[in-house]
Amino acid sequence: MAEGSRWRATGWVALALALLGIVAWPLFRLLSTAWGAGLGGLAAAIGTDGAAAVATSLWMAIVVTVASVAGGTALALLTERSAVPGVAWLRAGILAPLLIPDFVTAISWTRAYGPVGITARLTGVELPGLYGPVGIVVVLVAGAVPLAYLVVAAGLRVRSEPDLERAARASGATPWESLRQVTLPLLLPVLGAAAALVFVTTMNAFGTPVVLGRPAGVVTMTTRIYQDLAFSSTPEAFARVVALSALLVLLAVVTVAVAGRALAIRGERTGASAGPVAAHAPASRAGTGAAWAFVVLTVLLPLLALVLTAMTRAVGLTPLPPNLTLAHFAAALDARTVASLGTSLVLAALTAIGAVLLGGLATAVASRRGSGPVGMMVLLTFALPGSVVAVAILIAYGVTLRDTLAILLVAYLAKLWALGQRPVAAAVSRLPADLARAARVHGAGSFTTLRTVVLPLLAPAIVAAGLLVFTVAINEVTISTLLYGPHATTLAVSIVNLQQLGDPTVTAALAVVLTAIVGLAALGLLLLRRVPWGAAGVGLG
Amino acid sequence: MIVPAALECSDLDVAYGDVPVLRGLDLVVGAGETVALLGPSGSGKTSLLYAVAGFVTPSGGRISVGGRVVSGGGRTVPPERRDLGFVFQHYALWPHLDALDTVAYPLRRAGSTAGDARRRATELLALMGVAHLAARRPAQLSGGEQQRVGVARALARSATLLLLDEPTAHLDVPLRAALVAELAEQRRRTGAAAVYATHDVGEALAIADRVMLLRDGAVIQVGDPLEIYERPVDAWVARLSGAASVLHGELVATTGDPAQVRIGRDVMPVELTAAEPRVPGPVRLLVRADWAELDAGAAPVAIVSAAWFRGPHTDYRLVTDAGELELRAPGPPRALVGECVGWRLRRAWVLPGDDR
Repeated sequence: MAEGSRWRATGWVALALALLGIVAWPLFRLLSTAWGAGLGGLAAAIGTDGAAAVATSLWMAIVVTVASVAGGTALALLTERSAVPGVAWLRAGILAPLLIPDFVTAISWTRAYGPVGITARLTGVELPGLYGPVGIVVVLVAGAVPLAYLVVAAGLRVRSEPDLERAARASGATPWESLRQVTLPLLLPVLGAAAALVFVTTMNAFGTPVVLGRPAGVVTMTTRIYQDLAFSSTPEAFARVVALSALLVLLAVVTVAVAGRALAIRGERTGASAGPVAAHAPASRAGTGAAWAFVVLTVLLPLLALVLTAMTRAVGLTPLPPNLTLAHFAAALDARTVASLGTSLVLAALTAIGAVLLGGLATAVASRRGSGPVGMMVLLTFALPGSVVAVAILIAYGVTLRDTLAILLVAYLAKLWALGQRPVAAAVSRLPADLARAARVHGAGSFTTLRTVVLPLLAPAIVAAGLLVFTVAINEVTISTLLYGPHATTLAVSIVNLQQLGDPTVTAALAVVLTAIVGLAALGLLLLRRVPWGAAGVGLG
Repeated sequence: MIVPAALECSDLDVAYGDVPVLRGLDLVVGAGETVALLGPSGSGKTSLLYAVAGFVTPSGGRISVGGRVVSGGGRTVPPERRDLGFVFQHYALWPHLDALDTVAYPLRRAGSTAGDARRRATELLALMGVAHLAARRPAQLSGGEQQRVGVARALARSATLLLLDEPTAHLDVPLRAALVAELAEQRRRTGAAAVYATHDVGEALAIADRVMLLRDGAVIQVGDPLEIYERPVDAWVARLSGAASVLHGELVATTGDPAQVRIGRDVMPVELTAAEPRVPGPVRLLVRADWAELDAGAAPVAIVSAAWFRGPHTDYRLVTDAGELELRAPGPPRALVGECVGWRLRRAWVLPGDDR
């Protein structure tokens, strides 16, 4: 056992160093910088511009949370509690936006519903105020509904067994009474979790407000930070960046804590789920129609518009064969964007490997799932906005690592560590301890056991975690726009910069390229589900 | 006045997608009658109950509850407007309600005031012997206690028909007997008809006025418990409805009672019951464990291949010339494994047909 404990000690040291360097030190530097100003100083630093941004962020987050939790719950009830024809396709359609970066979604909406968008051209109908608060909220809701749906549908599957609703009906409750008195009360903790997730995600949203808000002068906390860091170099602007970042940290911590308490209320359940799965009543035509209309309007049409824009010779031409071309792709992939594509791929791959290694290390050393101080710290960074992570890393390492891949990699790892760790930790906690004991008792040493039994069984989860981190990393734009430099530009940053310069066709072409890469990684995730013991590897997709 | 049947299913078909689970099922349950559905898992017991309750929509046929058509002929009455109570296999108690509110729930839905509903719910909990648990939530109750609350909830609607889906399947053996006794008592008291799905033969024979055997969604046999036990239609039913052996013998004399049956080299007098007219020749004889006995002086001998002491009686397995025979005799083991013993057949049931 001496051998084992020595390895454990080494692991602890490595984990402590990584946590300190990647998470603790930058956060400490950010908070100590903010602390130095004092409360009055922070309030002064935020100023009227900052306060307006805070107000905008808050009201948008509240509206988006209410709307998308309601929408996601309605969709989840439809797919999980009634027999919908083609439910697998519907689920895939609802969840698809989770894989598409938010700035691409926003760009695709401008191509579909904007003033010179496809629908405007074909039908004369355009979404009024797409560039502005209304547009931002609508696109954020469209992006957050799948998130709420994912949480609520998963909750409906493991929680509130269909027999509980049947019992209510057999007791004389109408469908509506059964929904109100049984289904929803049991779902309350899940709804709380979904709301917290959507709220934090919306507060942290950057891609959508920057694409749709900047032309209209609508500024949120994250875009305020971006503008102050990227376009001004005054001490006042920097003080405001620090103050806003500290406020975002506070909001994230409070939301996570409140959601954590709410989630702890009711974990109990009775019996096992029972009854034939196919026993659901057929879905109403109106409900199914509305769900498909949602998928078509928020996912398929914008994506189609994006692809058509990328393939049409010029904005304003009707996308018909004589006007179609691949020239924009050639134009888009010039030396600089190809370099940024390479940077993105390398960075995403390194982040995926690093996050899974760190996650595996933390799981192995800190034992037992994501609870405990290590798990909390890692989880917290995930709840922190990318802008805050970027500002903290900039304060801690900006002088030494500015304009290098390393600074981006450290920031990505800080943000995505949790994403790599959770699937691995979940798989470890599902792995029966007796499997390893059986190997030991039949003659395998600890390393042989790890190599021949534990790792093969964890492999699907490890690969899934890697692919998940890869897709998120390659979509990352919030951190990247704050930390990039001429020598370290990612594809996502190139796309946002091109979009801001107003080159719709080339922007669309690059966005299609990025989406295709993400699609490939998603395909890998789907294929992984075919591994018999890896089916529950990740929650996504 | 003619009292309508509590339940009437005719030509009922249920399918999940393309998979048929019930095929052309007919069932009539008279007012106040208890019918046990007996069958292995997957035979369609739960599907039948779900169709009657309205949780699944049948693909064909007609269902009437208390003389009112609830399904069929283009009509589907939702579960809450069918006059029935349901007891679930996995209890299905709502985790967010305590026992009192759970039992009061159907009463509230039926329009009782909160006060009346709680008073009546307290009475029902007391009837099931769990009044002291009124303030507890399901997570704080044992399985047996949960199911008692579940039964109280089902009784609360005072429905003419109770549907029970293997209510004891997840309870320990001693709790089962207690709950079955309680159910029988409550059912007698309320006079409600009941359909009781189970895969436990003892329960089915003990509780039911009639037993219906299901296999692959079709009815194999319907009859009163004694009929099912003594005169099963085939070997499958025989094995499902209690310990049974099938011996191969030859009927030698068709006249007279007891009849003469040749088993191996020996001819013995056997009290015979048969569905068809007796014809001399080879027959398959169903023998319940209590229909044969050990007899030191008897002519046919068998080798004891197993003996299990059960307390009040001992179960033997004998290898005879006519096949394996399960035999139950009172008292401690009288023969050891490997020993030769004499035995005698008291009665047997000639299995109809020659399937399996």
